[in-house]
Amino acid sequence: MSKIHKKGEIVAGFLAPHPPHLVYGENPPQNEPKSQCGWEQLRWAYERARKSIEALKPDVLLVHSPHWITQQGHHFLGVHRLCGKSVDPIFPNIFRYTFELDVDVELAEACCTEGAKRGLYTKMMRNPNFRVDYGTITTLHMIRPQWDIPVVGLSANNSPYYLSTQEGLEEMDTLGKATRKAIEKTGRRAVLLASNTLCHWHFHEEPAIPEDMSQEHPESLSGYQWDMRIIELLRQGKTKEVFRLLPQFIDEAFAEVKSGAFTWMFAAMGYPNIPAELHGYGTVIGTGNAVMEWNLQKTNRARRNPAPRKTWNRAA
Amino acid sequence: MAIVSAFLVPGSPLPYVRRDNKPWGKIAAGMQAAGEALVASKPHVILLYSTQWIAVLDQLWQTRPRVAGLHVDENWHEYGELPYDLKIDTKLAHACVAATSKIGVKSKAVNYDSFPIDTGTIVAANFLNPGGKIPMVLASNNLYHDFALTEKLGRTAATQASKQRKRVAVVGVGNFSGALFRGVIDIAKDKIAAPKYDRWNKKILKLMTSGDVKGLYAALPGFATQGKADMGFKHAAWVLGALGGRFKSANVHAYGPLYGSGGAVVEFILK
Repeated sequence: MSKIHKKGEIVAGFLAPHPPHLVYGENPPQNEPKSQCGWEQLRWAYERARKSIEALKPDVLLVHSPHWITQQGHHFLGVHRLCGKSVDPIFPNIFRYTFELDVDVELAEACCTEGAKRGLYTKMMRNPNFRVDYGTITTLHMIRPQWDIPVVGLSANNSPYYLSTQEGLEEMDTLGKATRKAIEKTGRRAVLLASNTLCHWHFHEEPAIPEDMSQEHPESLSGYQWDMRIIELLRQGKTKEVFRLLPQFIDEAFAEVKSGAFTWMFAAMGYPNIPAELHGYGTVIGTGNAVMEWNLQKTNRARRNPAPRKTWNRAA
Repeated sequence: MAIVSAFLVPGSPLPYVRRDNKPWGKIAAGMQAAGEALVASKPHVILLYSTQWIAVLDQLWQTRPRVAGLHVDENWHEYGELPYDLKIDTKLAHACVAATSKIGVKSKAVNYDSFPIDTGTIVAANFLNPGGKIPMVLASNNLYHDFALTEKLGRTAATQASKQRKRVAVVGVGNFSGALFRGVIDIAKDKIAAPKYDRWNKKILKLMTSGDVKGLYAALPGFATQGKADMGFKHAAWVLGALGGRFKSANVHAYGPLYGSGGAVVEFILK
């Protein structure tokens, strides 16, 4: 018999990019390689985001990662506990991380079911030997290094690349709506994590010392300008305009949001026109990364309990 | 140049994990036949390039003396694990790392415990080099390298092997047409995703079996775009580069669908 849940809700969404350099720069005990320093602005941005997570006290973190690429359908981690050592295939010199994570399988199954109901091909990942991708792990570590909140991991179906950007992002929109329904049905207080970089133009060689910040800057002026334009619109809560520009942004800035996490998160949140809180921006091997928060709990509370209107006394 | 055998094989796990499914079983049998031919050629080393080992910074080469473990495919996880245990020819791999600067490519050695070995490399190695007895050199697919540069990489690796007086089997791992079915299919009735891809695959196979190298090179740009060749057919560039663009003909040990994509097991006849 199915359990009866109170209606769940998405309490916040975060743009939470996954350069493994941030973990490397932080030197947590789980990561083998050790750094001297590096990417502080982004790491401090994540420190602020961590405080928000602490205050929100969500039941579950859902992360959509572009580094679990699936060609047939949208997949969901479906094993209660996954552990192992994740070595980044691109940056093995800086990311060799021993992880253990608990999966909210009930919610993952609900997402899988709701996606299928909406016509998506969805699949649960039940293999206990599965290696969780470094994008998922980096985002989760940076947002909640205690690893004490269950997670739902979603793959990035390659539809935006295999089909067209528009067709692919339509699938992500459907996936987002399905995710919202699943959260509501299972009664979870959920935080969504879109594991995406903005401008994705990057350098093709690493400095001899990866954390040599004298070598770190945007790869291109136009990519940086695009990032600032998108961030400013998001800070103003101009969500509709951002999504109008998204295909152009993707084409011209090679933006990683093409892989779908950003659209998935916004669709799940109902494309709210609320100002984002920018926790910080920085580049990693030239790519543009922003840590941003949309706190729906705060917004909903403010709507329910509006502050008393002040009377403006011109004479005062 | 001491190339003693050369092959193109698909990197899909499906023939390995579900050879009981008839269309994929045919490919598995072809892979096995190719493996027998490879062993019979008595190579000292296998130079293997897989389109599924993706790199974006530098050209990566595996330099850990032994890589072993269990891999679960990102997409086909329901079919179980892919075990692997491979011996690496580290002397030759390091020589390749050092040599690529001459062709303008920065290379990097990869020697890390638990480094993720890709599905294509594992499947090809398990069929062609059962038990991992023959040492291997594993090369990555840098997404920013084109066909011509990948040919140079293959050539460079073969040259380094020749300098070390080694008999070489060269292997390119990837699909012919890369178009896949995206939803649920009846796997027993798997077929190439569209007739035009089937036509392109057969055209390329015919050029290979007839030894028409010039015609093959002429057809490749069309195959890459209209035939949706997997990763621009760069795994073929690796093999052709190692062969110096020369072969007499080819045996097709198997051709068929792998969830819509074109899987072909090709052995190049060198003499």
